Amino acid sequence: MSNTRPVPPMPRISLRSESAAAIVVFAVLALLPLMMGGYVIYVLPQYLIYGVLAMSLGMLWGYAGILSFGQAAFFALGAYAMGLAMKAGFGAGDGYLGLLAAIVVGAGLAFLVGYFLFSAGVRDIYFVLITLALSIMVQQIAISQSSLTGGFNGMYIPRMDLALGPLGRVSLAHDRAIYYLVLPVTVAIYAGLRRLTRSDFGKVLVGIRENEGRTLSLGFDTSWYKTIAFTISGAVACFAGALYGAHAEFVSPSLASVAFSTEVVIWVAIGGRQSLLGALLGGLGVAALSNYLDGLSPVFWQLILGGIFVAVIIAFKGGIAGALGRLVARKDDAHG
Amino acid sequence: MTHETVFHAILSLAIQGTLITFVYALAALGLAVVFGLIGVINMAHGAMITLGAYFTWACLSAGLPFGLAVLVAVAGVGLVGLIVEHALIRHFYDKPFETLLLTWGLFLILTELIKIAFGSDIRTIPTPLPSAIAFLGFHIPEYEALVALLSAALLGAIGLVFYKTSYGIKIRALTQNREVAGLLGLNVAATYKIVFVAGAMLAGLAGALMSPILSIDPTIGNIYLVRSFFVVIVGGIGQLLGGTLAGSFLIGGSQTIFGAFSSQVIAQTIVFALAIVVLRFRPTGVFKEK
Amino acid sequence: MAEFLRISKLTKHFRGLVANEDVDFTLGSGDVRCIIGPNGAGKTTFISMISGHVVPTSGRIAFKGRDITPMSVPGRARLGIGRKFQTPSVFDNLTVAENIELASIGKHAEGADRRARMGEVLQLTRLEAFASKPALTLSHGQRQWLEIGMLLANRAELLLLDEPTAGMSAEETHATAALIKTLAAEFGIAIVIIEHDINFIRDLGAPVTVLHLGRVLMEGDFAAVSENDDVRNVYLGGEWEC
Ligand SMILES: Nc1ncnc2c1ncn2[C@@H]1O[C@H](COP(=O)(O)OP(=O)(O)OP(=O)(O)O)[C@@H](O)[C@H]1O
Ligand SMILES: [Mg+2]
Repeated sequence: MSNTRPVPPMPRISLRSESAAAIVVFAVLALLPLMMGGYVIYVLPQYLIYGVLAMSLGMLWGYAGILSFGQAAFFALGAYAMGLAMKAGFGAGDGYLGLLAAIVVGAGLAFLVGYFLFSAGVRDIYFVLITLALSIMVQQIAISQSSLTGGFNGMYIPRMDLALGPLGRVSLAHDRAIYYLVLPVTVAIYAGLRRLTRSDFGKVLVGIRENEGRTLSLGFDTSWYKTIAFTISGAVACFAGALYGAHAEFVSPSLASVAFSTEVVIWVAIGGRQSLLGALLGGLGVAALSNYLDGLSPVFWQLILGGIFVAVIIAFKGGIAGALGRLVARKDDAHG
Repeated sequence: MTHETVFHAILSLAIQGTLITFVYALAALGLAVVFGLIGVINMAHGAMITLGAYFTWACLSAGLPFGLAVLVAVAGVGLVGLIVEHALIRHFYDKPFETLLLTWGLFLILTELIKIAFGSDIRTIPTPLPSAIAFLGFHIPEYEALVALLSAALLGAIGLVFYKTSYGIKIRALTQNREVAGLLGLNVAATYKIVFVAGAMLAGLAGALMSPILSIDPTIGNIYLVRSFFVVIVGGIGQLLGGTLAGSFLIGGSQTIFGAFSSQVIAQTIVFALAIVVLRFRPTGVFKEK
Repeated sequence: MAEFLRISKLTKHFRGLVANEDVDFTLGSGDVRCIIGPNGAGKTTFISMISGHVVPTSGRIAFKGRDITPMSVPGRARLGIGRKFQTPSVFDNLTVAENIELASIGKHAEGADRRARMGEVLQLTRLEAFASKPALTLSHGQRQWLEIGMLLANRAELLLLDEPTAGMSAEETHATAALIKTLAAEFGIAIVIIEHDINFIRDLGAPVTVLHLGRVLMEGDFAAVSENDDVRNVYLGGEWEC
């Protein structure tokens, strides 16, 4: 047993090219405000936040194989948490309170729901429909508790300041200021989720996606792994919602609607479920495109989007990122 | 409160509960048939209900009588189901997750097509039977009573098909075992098609018959998708008739009771939460192992 | 010292159908045992109760001196009970190396230790050349080995192998017998094997337990079992002509 060769680490061409692509994307995004201003810089943070929301689903769906139609519920909860925190009257700390509350609420709710369901073996379509119900419930609660949430009309949220203790406070009222808050946060969440998916924990999630029975028989308590994955996903989605609330300065019940929940699924399906960068760019790109084309022809664009979604499901399971990855792999094969 | 008012209140709840049970059963029947018999969860079910309501509205606007409008709506939604099944769904029967996503894509497309064709304004349809039946001092809307009766009749008719005709019995055999059903001389592909289209037609019928009770907008079916799903699960998949009826009774009944003490919105939320709890504690027979 | 595996009066009824009845069974650490019996004798049910996939109606299972009867599947796996299924269960879309790596998580820390173990396992299971191929592309026999390799990477001390040579060529079957002997002799791994292949069982030379209608018909070495009249009757006219 002594003279065996250890296995060399697997060559991961696709991972390395994803890293390269990620660096390029983030570098461009970092330089953008130096080159332009106006509407683009105003609106980009919102799309980045959508990208974070998409990543919360990409991790869950792409790696653990758990599809949630309830990401919008967490997102809306986060935005409401931010709104309520800004009313709390702790002065400089309100914004931080909102962000923290969002993480706690998102993680807590996802943990409870996840453990409750996964420990009983609820999965697949049943989980999809329950999470769909979850977003309907959050929306209806937001509508009915109008004294707290403003009901149908929604709730205005003063934009938080960045309190830096003795260094004073940085106002985020300017577009560039909040841009340079949201971008590094996005990068950090991307990096964190990527690390997670490549860790042993992430590998077990992939095992669950591929063959849950086998994973269980190897000694992994799969319902715990799934619960933790959902908890992280819920926390990220809720945190993104709090950022969204701070940026948009407004939240209404439609943020938890079935339509918005679905959009998240579409972003991830189109961008590519098994690539976090794909999910991020899917969220960013499709939301930006939707906004642009919605102006030109709202209904037809939504129709086309539905068509693209169906096409992706039928033909390109890996979304755009998957298709590109295959292309790169083929090239490498040809060269190697 | 006197005994009489208590009695009156209970009776009122009972009547409301009965009506809502049959309306929910009507809405859920298409989903139950497709899910229970061929294992496809049709996420476009809600959009098909909406489509049925809009077709009815369009026919009435064109001057057709209500009964004919309902028939046209059923045929129209059935045709949509046929096209979709033939073009897409039939290639994915052995992949439940793909059919889920595909029918969801279909939901998106149908909803947008409805917006394009009919606009997003709320439409209303006047009740074909505006009068009410006086019963023990209550006024039961005639039309709602009729819908409940039709729903009950429909359940009975479907029961006859599945339990008394040889074709129905073969279809139920299909649910148990595809190969055996094939041996029994059943054309499996055609049967899947028939079941899916029948489910679509039932959704269309539900939308058409409910249209005078609803304010019709392009997303009106969304809530019925989740409701119908819970009806089917709580009742038990595969228990086509008893299950649908029991599920509707539980979901509709609790909705009525909670609705009596709080707003309908809160009641709906509580009922969903309860349904999730029931779903979790009833795993046997409900969750098929892969 | 407590026995490695001690099973007493293990019984399983499926709604009145007797799958196992009062099965007593003991195994020392590093022992190899074959379980044979006609189709439906209850062999798979028996090892499923050891791995935790089937909950016994009554009876007791003790592993390394510990009562594991109420323990969950993953709990038993962590204790060192590894199960290979009758139809191989591997991660089809992952590569062979990824399959092995997944199994070693929690047992071997990431890095040099894990890679060394993976190399060892790949060599033992003759899958080195296939390390970067998806499991889907393996032959049926190789999938069986991959599954055994995963159990080794998972540090199983007791292997439960359900028909490991199904779908293998004669040469592969022979190599499997050699592998099992190596695992037992060199690594002290205890192995319970369900088998139908008579040549394989003879090759292995391990004691045999015969199950019939859910009960232990007899136990003994290969020669004694193959000459027993009861056993020959059970296999009447079957492959047991030797
Ligand atoms: N989950 C179950 N539910 C009901 N009956 C079962 C179940 N699992 C096994 N049985 C029955 O228990 C009996 C024993 O089955 P088992 O699979 O243990 O036999 P086996 O010896 O492994 O047979 P084979 O050689 O065909 O693999 C059979 O009659 C089988 O039909
Ligand atoms: Mg067996």
